[in-house]
Amino acid sequence: MISYLTLVTDKVKKHFQKVMRQEEVSEIWFEYEGTPLKWHYPIGLLFDLHASNTALPWSITVHFKNFPEKDLLHCHSKDVIEAHFMACIKEADALKHKSQVINEMQKKDHKQLWMGLQNDKFEQFWAINRKLMEYPPEDSGFRYIPFRIYQAATERPFIQKLFRPIASGGQLHTLGDLLKDVCPSAITPEDGEMKTQVMIHGIEPMLETPIQWLSEHMSYPDNFLHISIIPQPTD
Amino acid sequence: MSFSVAGEEDFFLEEKKFKQYCEEFIKHSQKIGDGWEWRTSKDFADGYLSKTHFQVTNRNVPPDLKEKNKDNIEQMLFMHVEESLDDSQVDGVCATAEVIRYEYHVLYSNSYQVPVLYFRACFLDGRPLTLDEIWKSVHACYQARLLEGPWDTITQQEHPLLGQPFFVLHPCRTNEFMSSVLITSQKENRCTNYITSWLSIVGPVVGLNLSLSYAKLASEQMLI
Repeated sequence: MISYLTLVTDKVKKHFQKVMRQEEVSEIWFEYEGTPLKWHYPIGLLFDLHASNTALPWSITVHFKNFPEKDLLHCHSKDVIEAHFMACIKEADALKHKSQVINEMQKKDHKQLWMGLQNDKFEQFWAINRKLMEYPPEDSGFRYIPFRIYQAATERPFIQKLFRPIASGGQLHTLGDLLKDVCPSAITPEDGEMKTQVMIHGIEPMLETPIQWLSEHMSYPDNFLHISIIPQPTD
Repeated sequence: MSFSVAGEEDFFLEEKKFKQYCEEFIKHSQKIGDGWEWRTSKDFADGYLSKTHFQVTNRNVPPDLKEKNKDNIEQMLFMHVEESLDDSQVDGVCATAEVIRYEYHVLYSNSYQVPVLYFRACFLDGRPLTLDEIWKSVHACYQARLLEGPWDTITQQEHPLLGQPFFVLHPCRTNEFMSSVLITSQKENRCTNYITSWLSIVGPVVGLNLSLSYAKLASEQMLI
């Protein structure tokens, strides 16, 4: 399961701390080609956004000094990651179900989501997460779709707006409908060419895909669809 | 009424109404020189309220000041620089005082359909406050609630329009407490500015106070 940088780099920390003096070690942070990487974004999203046209494994730079206070959130403990992850899950459910599903769950269910993610236990995670993917039989989908659209090098970190998966006539809205509504430049060709790609989890879904389906099947563990608009690769 | 009532307990604030209430709020702020302004994001029509002010904190109150101010020790925790102090008080304050620059933003949350308070704080030398320091500076009356669930109350998050780290007062309980405020004013046929009511409740938790004249603003509107 895709996760967060600071959750999967304990070994990295230990490795470098062996060769560094105590006083030199402060908070770990990561950077790629001069850009500090936001640990609170899922790793897959960071890769799509910054390096999707490069080959794996992704080479990033580790730092232990000069933490960029103006760019990155602090991450002093796993509690911070858990709080962030749970806040995303809660926000997604506020959009999908007016928070009804997440609020009906017990604290131990919330813990199970987090532990499933932390320990990479697919079954454990999905036992609870499947409830967040359900909707009342009388509806055809969620109330609103939890999504964020990212474009590198804009001041605004992401676009997030209210968007219903079902049109008033009952038809399913598509990925193309979503983009036309909240980020038309992503699907508007310039000089007859598409200058950008629309990417989720490293692939370009067809614009005709129903957004409800994408939300149920291609959301990240935090229950959000993280969509990257990136420049077309130049071969 | 100006808010959509989805259920008895639901008083969601629509984005259009958010902007209108903010506009009224700004007008009053300008009248009394309270320093609030409306800012918009570069590429979209989204906007937010913003205010910067400086606060003198006096965590270690000297014993002689403690004596003089036994009854309002909590007010000593945050003193506005503009308040005039007599010489003996100034000496006491400067000995242990720190000046902190606070920047407050009020943004609209689509997901929760409520306003959200974002803020950042740094010392005059530019050093930002840590989450721990922020938690410690929460007003004494709210410490108990904070300790119940600090991670559900104030955390560091990315500002949705500026992309920079800010502290946030979590919005998921806003609807709960605003419902009781709004139900009461409905019953009493009073006009309320949602932003004024909301900010007067959450602001003090993080050292942001509103002048009482904002309350008069709401009642003046009733006469129209």
